[in-house]
Amino acid sequence: MAPGKYVANKITIKWATNRSQNTPLKIQAICRKSYIVTLLQSVAIIRARRQFMIKMNNIVKSFGGQPVLSDVTFETREKEIFGLLGPSGAGKTTIINILTNQLDADGGSHSIGATPFETGLMLDEDGLYPRLNCLENLNVFAGIYGIPRNKSMEALKRVHLEDASRKAVNTLSKGMRQRLALARAILHEPTVLFLDEPTSGLDPVTARGIHKLIQTLRENGATIFLTTHNMDEAVKLCDRIALLHRGKIVEQGAPAEICQRHNAVKTVPDLEAVFIKLTGVELE
Amino acid sequence: MRSAKAIFIKQLQDTFKNRMILIQFAMFPIMAFVMTELVAKANDGIPNNMFVTMFAAIFVGMTPLVMTNSAIAEDREHKSLRFLVMAGVKPYEYLLGIGGFVLVVCSLASVVFGLIGGFAGMEFVKFVSVLILGSVASILLGSIIGILSKNQQAATAVGTPVFMILAFTPMIASFNETIEKAADIFYTQQINVLVNDFSVGVTKPFLIIMANIAILLVLFILAYKKKGLKI
Repeated sequence: MAPGKYVANKITIKWATNRSQNTPLKIQAICRKSYIVTLLQSVAIIRARRQFMIKMNNIVKSFGGQPVLSDVTFETREKEIFGLLGPSGAGKTTIINILTNQLDADGGSHSIGATPFETGLMLDEDGLYPRLNCLENLNVFAGIYGIPRNKSMEALKRVHLEDASRKAVNTLSKGMRQRLALARAILHEPTVLFLDEPTSGLDPVTARGIHKLIQTLRENGATIFLTTHNMDEAVKLCDRIALLHRGKIVEQGAPAEICQRHNAVKTVPDLEAVFIKLTGVELE
Repeated sequence: MRSAKAIFIKQLQDTFKNRMILIQFAMFPIMAFVMTELVAKANDGIPNNMFVTMFAAIFVGMTPLVMTNSAIAEDREHKSLRFLVMAGVKPYEYLLGIGGFVLVVCSLASVVFGLIGGFAGMEFVKFVSVLILGSVASILLGSIIGILSKNQQAATAVGTPVFMILAFTPMIASFNETIEKAADIFYTQQINVLVNDFSVGVTKPFLIIMANIAILLVLFILAYKKKGLKI
């Protein structure tokens, strides 16, 4: 359960319990005051927690005795683009799977300040229905979220797929499928968006379009968690990043700060140089 | 229920674009119609509804099972299930959407079988009701196989021998008494008995069909608890 919701539920329960008692007026007034204090406190807690929309504390995970994540800790603030960088096999997708409760961690804790209905997801595997067309694919999720069907067309327009709305998914190119997967992820205007290598394998023009859309979504108030092994993409898009190597976070902070810390700013911040310096490994 | 409705509509759209499933759905009613018109009605020695009852019993043992398990296994294989679960769809809503759609389609097919067979009045109602009951049992069995299978290949590997036994045993049983006795425990055999002659007595076949449904429901709950819709 999302932390905000939990606190809110507690207030509701307390309120209902006290109101049901037949207490004198004075006591009721005191109680009401205490409700207000509790309510304000809870709002403060929710806000504090909401500042960190995504939180991972000392997460440990291994597959078949082979450690995949060791002591992973980071926080993502509200309305920021947080990038998780690392080479293939570093554990980026495993982190997304744990955060979205598709995989259980062996140890540690994690939380997201949003319900499933407030969360959008774009993964390496698109999970689209191949025989249905673009619009029908989005309409399935519009039906699930209970939002009007015209939102599907709006989402397609945002990823510039309106002309392909009647095309079956199995006839689309990889770039178009990726854009459609992004349209599905943003269909219900989520507050938290997980993007697993959103521009991987795309041509520069399509990738640029996706970058623009990601920035617009952040400007509209979404918190975006993206994984990538493209350092330029991370520098261009992310407010903060974490460098992941063999399941361990070796560095985190704002890209420019990290580059400065490791003397990797010449004309532009060179994250790749930092990564190589820290890990001794070149990215693919 | 909103999610179940969305999945029902998705399944409806998808089925009309899936030729393999469409063929399987339409094949038995068409064969029943052709055989009735060309063979049964042309031969005085063959009852007019013989092919209808035969193909209807095979249809009930095969089509709902294959439609359900392939839909679930395909969604699992294409990772679509992952996105449904992440969108907050509860596993029972998903299964209700898929199973509900298959039941509606099979109920319509049962009506078509009834019309081809020339059943009328209470006989028509009994005939269609028995086929719908059989479809419920097959949908449960298809769901169990779909839940336990990793992908479509695995679902086909397990599903094919199961539907072969269920769908064709009643036909083979008419040639061999031992097989007939063994097949008595299958709901498909009881459906075959009932649709061929309602005057044999409804109680025993009905109880066996209900017992089959009860056992499958328990197995479905166990499979669901064990694996659910986990990726």
